[in-house]
Amino acid sequence: MNQSTLSLGVEAVGMAAFDAGIKGAFGYPGTPSTEGFECVEALIQAADDGRVAQWAANEKVAYDLALGMSYAGFRALVTMKHVGLNVAMDAFVNSALTGVHGGLVVLVADDPGMHSSQNEQDSRRLAAFAGVPCLEPSTVEECYDFTLRAFALSEQLRVPVMVRLVTRLAHCRANLRRQPSAGPAGLGVAPLATVQDWVLIPSNARRRYRDLLAKGPALTTELAPMNRAIPGGSRRGVALAGLGRAYFHQVSQDYPELQAMPRLEVAAYPVDPTVESAFLAQVDEVFVFEEDHPYLEERLALRESASIHGRLDGTTPRTGELAPRILKEALGVSLPSGKNAITLELPVRAPRFCEGCGHVDAYQALQAALTLAGVPETRVFGDIGCYTLAAQEPMGAIHAVVEMGASISMALGAALAGQAPAVAVIGDSTFGHSGLPALLTAADAGANVTVVILDNRVVGMTGQQPSQALDQVERMVLGMGVASAQLQVLTPLPKQHEANVQALNAALRHPGLSVVVFRRECIQSLRRGLLRDHDREAKLAGPAACGVASCCPEALS
Amino acid sequence: MTQPRTHGIVVSGVGGQGALSLAQILLEALRRTGLHALQSEIHGMSQRGGSVHAHVCYADFPITSPIIDDGCADLLIALEPLEALRHVALLRLDGALVVSEEPQTAMEGYPPLDDVYAALKAVPGAHLLDTEDLARRLAHRQAGGMALLGMASRFLPVSETTWRVVIAERFRAKGPRVTDKNLEAFEEGRDRVPV
Repeated sequence: MNQSTLSLGVEAVGMAAFDAGIKGAFGYPGTPSTEGFECVEALIQAADDGRVAQWAANEKVAYDLALGMSYAGFRALVTMKHVGLNVAMDAFVNSALTGVHGGLVVLVADDPGMHSSQNEQDSRRLAAFAGVPCLEPSTVEECYDFTLRAFALSEQLRVPVMVRLVTRLAHCRANLRRQPSAGPAGLGVAPLATVQDWVLIPSNARRRYRDLLAKGPALTTELAPMNRAIPGGSRRGVALAGLGRAYFHQVSQDYPELQAMPRLEVAAYPVDPTVESAFLAQVDEVFVFEEDHPYLEERLALRESASIHGRLDGTTPRTGELAPRILKEALGVSLPSGKNAITLELPVRAPRFCEGCGHVDAYQALQAALTLAGVPETRVFGDIGCYTLAAQEPMGAIHAVVEMGASISMALGAALAGQAPAVAVIGDSTFGHSGLPALLTAADAGANVTVVILDNRVVGMTGQQPSQALDQVERMVLGMGVASAQLQVLTPLPKQHEANVQALNAALRHPGLSVVVFRRECIQSLRRGLLRDHDREAKLAGPAACGVASCCPEALS
Repeated sequence: MTQPRTHGIVVSGVGGQGALSLAQILLEALRRTGLHALQSEIHGMSQRGGSVHAHVCYADFPITSPIIDDGCADLLIALEPLEALRHVALLRLDGALVVSEEPQTAMEGYPPLDDVYAALKAVPGAHLLDTEDLARRLAHRQAGGMALLGMASRFLPVSETTWRVVIAERFRAKGPRVTDKNLEAFEEGRDRVPV
């Protein structure tokens, strides 16, 4: 085959997974990981050979799907962003103990610099925490090669393997040459002799933990070729990982004097301490360049054998993403003089709601209703999605955004502390992701909370992926124990403004749990016609009664 | 003969204007020319009408960094005047700027237009294009981006044939009329910059 295409780094992972013969790909959308899943999804759909690509309700579900597929003897890919791994952490950590049968690779895309995330946690630490090997590519080509290697490694050592990307690599586009693609080859379901390995009751878990630790030497041997101490002609060295490696290679082409520096090049974790020792023996001074946390830097600093420069001693910025400029400044090479920066003050052009977005109408109704209820200063608990944009001025309609699904439980906590009204705003997909258990608890607690669900029928922010909650929101709400009289379904349109304000006002005044669903398809999805076929088929099938009079009266009449 | 080095192109604009698509056309054209090329772009929240930019790096040797530092870009292509100003410091002393004069003012505190134009005209190597007028004349609402690419093409080591092939491929799915319109806009821009 040997096709050559332009590919994003994160897509290269998806292509490699397909070419490695996965049976399925699972994930939850999240920038910058989304396109990895979408790429493999497109390949699977085109191949039409019985493989599956399935978005999951959240990352933990996605991870368990992949683990189940592995148990059934097939290779599987699971994709998520760094904070998504927190959601999947239980599955991730424990899958290191069960081990895998079919190869299992987890693509995690970190977001140093927080381009579209709430933190810049470093997934290498979570891999180490779980005892899972982590491969860290530095180029698009390596994204592909390392993923192929990760599947082989996973089956060889019977552990899940993480492939860690960062935003700039995930969204780096480059030429990629693929290898011949293998179809899925099933190993058969995990053999009976291994059943106890998968049952993590304490007696088995203790044994499996020892087994995991015992894989260490084999792992070190396997990863050894990926981490290298390269001698040089200087006592000043560089320790490089991920994009630090890519940037140094680039910078040292433009500044050949840097090529004499001894290098520690890291592409896989855990790193064999003997490689670090071999490197440290050659240098008195080390500059560390890696993305995100000073992870490698901390390891080297603990050795106390050389003077270590990086994020910890302030040689490079402690936070934010790496850039070639940071390497140049740290290494003291002369920077080119370019054109002068503009002196005119340039205000930030912040992202905005799309023209005609239903979220805007919903927020305007909410703010008017809070004013009508005499509590315009109410702190509103928001959540993660396009509707997070309402936290910005001048709208300023939500006042806390923490992690997926937090709005409902935080509003409940505030209500239990006496805040009234306590209002949560959450999107349909986020509701399905992790709002459901929160609503279950809210219904059980019987506290005075108003939950506003902004149902735009897709996962809007990450590119209008299908929402698992499509056409299900009312039934989900009622199923969690919300009284049907306290569930209203509204249409966020300017002409509905007055009616919506009145309905919200009633919900705010209700001294218990109430839920208001604002439903209007995402304007981008509408333009792209993403739900056209779905809605046509649903219409042909006739109205479905959801049990809510304000939602589908024709079905109930 | 100058020493071989990495070249850089910055494309900037407002989310929805097609800055990333334009960068992809550049990347494909450079790749077809046999050069090593990389593109860096940021997806996600930035697409919702916020500032958007992409970096395209190329060289005739393998390269590994998709990021351009201050003073290292050969060319800045801006689909919007204010979005040009943000990136001027990335340009080399001898770098060129091709920029649309058409402002997108739907934001808080857009500076006075005269100040923006004055700042642009003060940039050595700046080439401004009235994309609004061009779009009207060519009866093609999206002509601006392609015309800017045409202007930019004068500064890049890609043959006219390659440009035409890459553009035609890009718009093939939209039919011959759309393709021709875009090629027309490209040529119009290309003619604006003297060889």
